[in-house]
Amino acid sequence: MTVVLDLTDLCAEVVGAASGDEEVEAFAQESTRTDVRARGGEVEALTFAESRGVGVRLIAGGRMGYAWVADPTSQEVREAVVRARTNAALAGEDEHNALPGPARPEPLEGLFRESLVSMPTEHKVTLGLDLEVAATRLDPRVRKVQAAGYGDAVSRVAIASTRGVSAEYRRTDCWCSVSALAEQDGETQTGSSFRQGRDAGDLDWVACAREAVERGTRLLGARKPDSGRVPVVLDPAAAVSFLGVLAGALSAESVQKGRSLFAELLGEPVGSSEVHLVDDGRLLEGPGASPVDDEGVPTRRTSLIDRGRLSAFLHNTRTALKGRTLSTGNAGRAGFRSSPGVSPSNLFLVAGKVPPGELLAGAEGGVYIQEVSGVHSGANPISGEFSVGASGLRITGGELGEPLREMTVASTLPEMLMAVSAVASDLRFFGGTGSPTVLVGEMTVGGT
Amino acid sequence: MESDSLLVDPTLAADVLRAALARGGTFAELFVEERESLGVRFDDGKIEELDTGLDRGAGVRVVRGTSAGYAYSNRLDRESLLEAASAASASARDGGPTQPVGLRRIEPEVRHVAERSAGQVPQDVKVQWLREADEAARAVDPAVRQVVAGYGDSVQRVMIAASDGRLVTEERPRIRLVVQVVAARDGIIQTGFHGPALVAGAEFVDRFPPAGIAERAARQAVAMLDGIAAPAGEMPVVIGPGGGGVLFHEACGHGLEADLVQKDSSIYRGKLGERLASPLVSGVDDATVANEWGSFSFDDEGWPAQRTVLFHEGVLEGYLYDRIRSGRDDVASSGNGRRQSYAHLPIPRMTNTYILPGESSPEDVVADTSRGFYAKRLGGGQVNPATGEFVFGVTEGYLIEDGEITRAVRGANLVGNGTGILQAIDAVANDFDTFVGTCGKEGQGVPVGNGSPTLRIARMTVGGTA
Repeated sequence: MTVVLDLTDLCAEVVGAASGDEEVEAFAQESTRTDVRARGGEVEALTFAESRGVGVRLIAGGRMGYAWVADPTSQEVREAVVRARTNAALAGEDEHNALPGPARPEPLEGLFRESLVSMPTEHKVTLGLDLEVAATRLDPRVRKVQAAGYGDAVSRVAIASTRGVSAEYRRTDCWCSVSALAEQDGETQTGSSFRQGRDAGDLDWVACAREAVERGTRLLGARKPDSGRVPVVLDPAAAVSFLGVLAGALSAESVQKGRSLFAELLGEPVGSSEVHLVDDGRLLEGPGASPVDDEGVPTRRTSLIDRGRLSAFLHNTRTALKGRTLSTGNAGRAGFRSSPGVSPSNLFLVAGKVPPGELLAGAEGGVYIQEVSGVHSGANPISGEFSVGASGLRITGGELGEPLREMTVASTLPEMLMAVSAVASDLRFFGGTGSPTVLVGEMTVGGT
Repeated sequence: MESDSLLVDPTLAADVLRAALARGGTFAELFVEERESLGVRFDDGKIEELDTGLDRGAGVRVVRGTSAGYAYSNRLDRESLLEAASAASASARDGGPTQPVGLRRIEPEVRHVAERSAGQVPQDVKVQWLREADEAARAVDPAVRQVVAGYGDSVQRVMIAASDGRLVTEERPRIRLVVQVVAARDGIIQTGFHGPALVAGAEFVDRFPPAGIAERAARQAVAMLDGIAAPAGEMPVVIGPGGGGVLFHEACGHGLEADLVQKDSSIYRGKLGERLASPLVSGVDDATVANEWGSFSFDDEGWPAQRTVLFHEGVLEGYLYDRIRSGRDDVASSGNGRRQSYAHLPIPRMTNTYILPGESSPEDVVADTSRGFYAKRLGGGQVNPATGEFVFGVTEGYLIEDGEITRAVRGANLVGNGTGILQAIDAVANDFDTFVGTCGKEGQGVPVGNGSPTLRIARMTVGGTA
């Protein structure tokens, strides 16, 4: 019979195994997930998952080591501490390696909803199946989906350290997505849509299906545009792809290592006055919300670009010590299997006042981009140069017109930020990143 | 040496399979995994972090027709495994019990073993490899400003027991060293990257000395400092050895994965036997290549590693199958059922995907191109398998002028569609090289190798700023 240690017991075991002046931190996490994938009116896959584990960060003499273990016994927990100690001994010394002290985070009401925990599996399956059916009944050109599904996770995190950190929280997350296949005259286009929330009541799956169908069908008949410089409107999904690259450049870690295009620009204008970029770990509407970051520091709202002016970077405890400032509560990690780096919580471009349709009027003859691809490989996070693939629609008479495919869009992130001339009111989140529709001045669009 | 100790006792495995099929189902499988890993990161002139991990878990899959139930946890005890079996069988509740076939051990036909286990090499030796890489990169040119070197090794022990009686085990030792270099001159910043990897042990460093990996990354970064803005428009494109493999993988390979074919989201559906590529193109997916990054003895469904011909002289010959999709098409699995870990369902994936060498010399291919673009190294790419459209970043590119490789070009990418470029290949050279990486699909990353000779595409869209 295996004895299952509670997360707080796991953390206590880790912290109790510290010796001498070592600083030791435990990050323990457990989650239960359900995932439904529908296809052809049937459940293609139904997955139940339970996982848990603990990560140990140990700092001794300014050297940091890390070790992690999935679902450990008490014995394995102690062994992990020993491994972290061995690893620390081989690492380079850095006076800024330190754990944060204790804090009293404000609880974040609404992050956890019992309604998701008690939702029967059958309802989840039905939601996945219904989403597929909805997407295939809205337009005769969409009879199939590439993928449709529902997923959720109930998770718990506990963090404790020899410095006195002791934090714990629970959260619920759920999402649904569909990728519609639009077909006409032997041509196929895809349109995707995604919704997320804290319980299934947050998911407007009918709107999700409608959006996927619209995004797929409106690309039918697309052709390559002529190459040239034209105004560009980015829809929220496309804009978010670029924000992901900006997030890396706004991390103090990148800045301190000279790997950010913003390195020397604090306080300087880096965008047009329309650009107001914020990170807010307490914004419940964003999926990246949590009361504390991944080393137990309370989260907060940080204005990164304020009306075009670079106002702050994202910090964890280590970068804050190095930069002689305070952590912004942006320590982040990919679960217990990795040590904390710097990552945004909910990073978003603050919405403007005009409806998205009005932006089109200012971009006559330009291109509305609904999807970009290859941003991670096509953008240089240091120089900010990028050239990415895109699909979208020609803007004609203030409206969306002819569909366009196999376009490339090339510019640099600094030029693009400076060229933002209007930001619409339709802020949407995709994962932890959000943006409204954005009008950018002229960019080079490549085609034939 | 293959460890003979099983992660789960065969009697317990048989009980789990019986429980999994208690409510019906055509097939059940238990996948058990244990993985030990080490990662070392050298950055900014020092070892920034060492981290070690121990992962462990098991998943039970119950298949009924094309529908799968799956449940996994980190625990390998009887109670947890039976619980997973019960949860996974939830969607197969309309039948009486199915009896699994008695388990029997299957021996591998190919093995990819470590000659010298990386786990036995002291950690300070590995730290030294990264120091060597750092020094070698900095010695290439004063313009080299930053070097980040990463080392990783892992051993994944797998046990798969299936209701058709299949019982296999495999130990997969993996090792990789990657170097990323930032070079700067006159306000221009460029990066270079090289990161070979093998299913092998410490003998990896004999084949890929850390200093050599670092020099290659550094030279790339330095070369691009002199780059001019990329041209935009259609032109002939020569792709250096290895790069065509990346393109083949992304632009064509994904469309040959049977799940996408059967979902009708592949342009290759229903086209077996058709000439879809230039007659110069023959391509394979091969998990048997000794010690390559995408190789294994058994796929993650316990099927033996195989070499599958995808194109023979331009004719489409095969798709990549896992168990469920091969059942639908009434063919045998091609041994391409792979998963990132116990936390994932297997799906059809590529292994080592190669365009085979032809007969021209690579020098002649360039010399025959009066004006065009030479893509020496491709970065990552993205493709929409339903339309075949793709985009690739070019990390190292040059102009071809009067049959010669001339000026370096920055910030280019290649845009096109899969069948279009396969048909447009008008030269295939007799050289060959590979690039390795992690291929992502449905949120799962698996190690893959891509290989090709030097290729020329008669016309292709180059996206650039000039």
